[in-house]
Amino acid sequence: MNDENAWVLQAQRGSDEAFTQLVETYQKPVYNLCYRMLGEPEAAEDAAQETFLRAYQNLHRYDNSRAFGTWILSIAAHYCIDRLRKRRFSVFSIDAEDEDGMTFEIADPASPDPEAESAKQEDRDRLHLLLKDLDDTDRAAVIMRYWYDCSEVEIAQSLNLTVSAVKSRLHRSRRALAEMWQKEKSRSYPERRSHESLAF
Amino acid sequence: MNHLPFENWLLDDRPVTPEQQRELELHLRDCSYCSALSETGRMLKTTKMVAPAANFTARFQARLAERKIADRRRRLWGTVLFTMGGLALLLWILAPYAVSFFASPATWISVIVGWLVFVGTTLFALIDAGLVILSVIPNFLPPFAWMVLLSMVAGIGLLWSVSIWRFTQRGVPQGV
Repeated sequence: MNDENAWVLQAQRGSDEAFTQLVETYQKPVYNLCYRMLGEPEAAEDAAQETFLRAYQNLHRYDNSRAFGTWILSIAAHYCIDRLRKRRFSVFSIDAEDEDGMTFEIADPASPDPEAESAKQEDRDRLHLLLKDLDDTDRAAVIMRYWYDCSEVEIAQSLNLTVSAVKSRLHRSRRALAEMWQKEKSRSYPERRSHESLAF
Repeated sequence: MNHLPFENWLLDDRPVTPEQQRELELHLRDCSYCSALSETGRMLKTTKMVAPAANFTARFQARLAERKIADRRRRLWGTVLFTMGGLALLLWILAPYAVSFFASPATWISVIVGWLVFVGTTLFALIDAGLVILSVIPNFLPPFAWMVLLSMVAGIGLLWSVSIWRFTQRGVPQGV
């Protein structure tokens, strides 16, 4: 039995220290998922905290045959999807919040080519903004696939979808992102020729 | 422009042979859509995870403690209100009999018997009324209404059985 399983078992028996270890281990993945889903740090912090609270309250329902990481990410994804659904009916829009709260990762000045690194970072930030135009469930599937290397089966289990639905959602999202990226590029770099943007 | 099979290679992230890689690179030079697909795929794979602000765990512990206190307070108030409500209801029901409680044993017994008779006759009256309704209604309801009614009852029964089976076999869904 590894440390994680032991912590889960101890937490299920009521040990807050063991649950704290799980929070320490999973804070970054959970926060990242919330951040990518909700688009701004304050909401991501709140959602990540709420995810751990829900996990704490529902630990007795956790099926030990399943990976704890996938379980907690599925709680976070469902919570964020619900929150976005509610947000759509509220007076505040995601765009308004972005203007106030969006923070981006800062390019590493110690990298060999800070300028290139900064350009790459800028592209990633733009991709992050494009992600929010995807359907909520599609976005969750993309995040779980590309940030957490979750298999299609794991994503299907987490989001209560079939494997074929996950596959088709991933393909649809990738196509949508590529189309949005094309438009974005042509708006931002009209002078750049198509072969210059190659990256494979 | 025909994007196949390049689009599928890019979407499925499957490994390609050196020959296929060369073909793909040639295609990407001319196809801005596949180029965007490749670029976004690469960025998705290389974008780093964002970490929360420092002391996340401490903030969680504080929030958990607050939530526990709030839950305890809510449970306490719930118990108090439930008990008070129950007592009030009990007093309201028993109030008319409280006077006879201090009366002679004969009055006391006659009140209990009277109450039991009242309950018994009410039950019999309700059963009689139900039987009369059941014998009269079929003459007013057309056959299709019976079919709809029976189908609804069967549907609800099926839904109930399936729900019970799902909860007992698979447990409660993990995504909370």
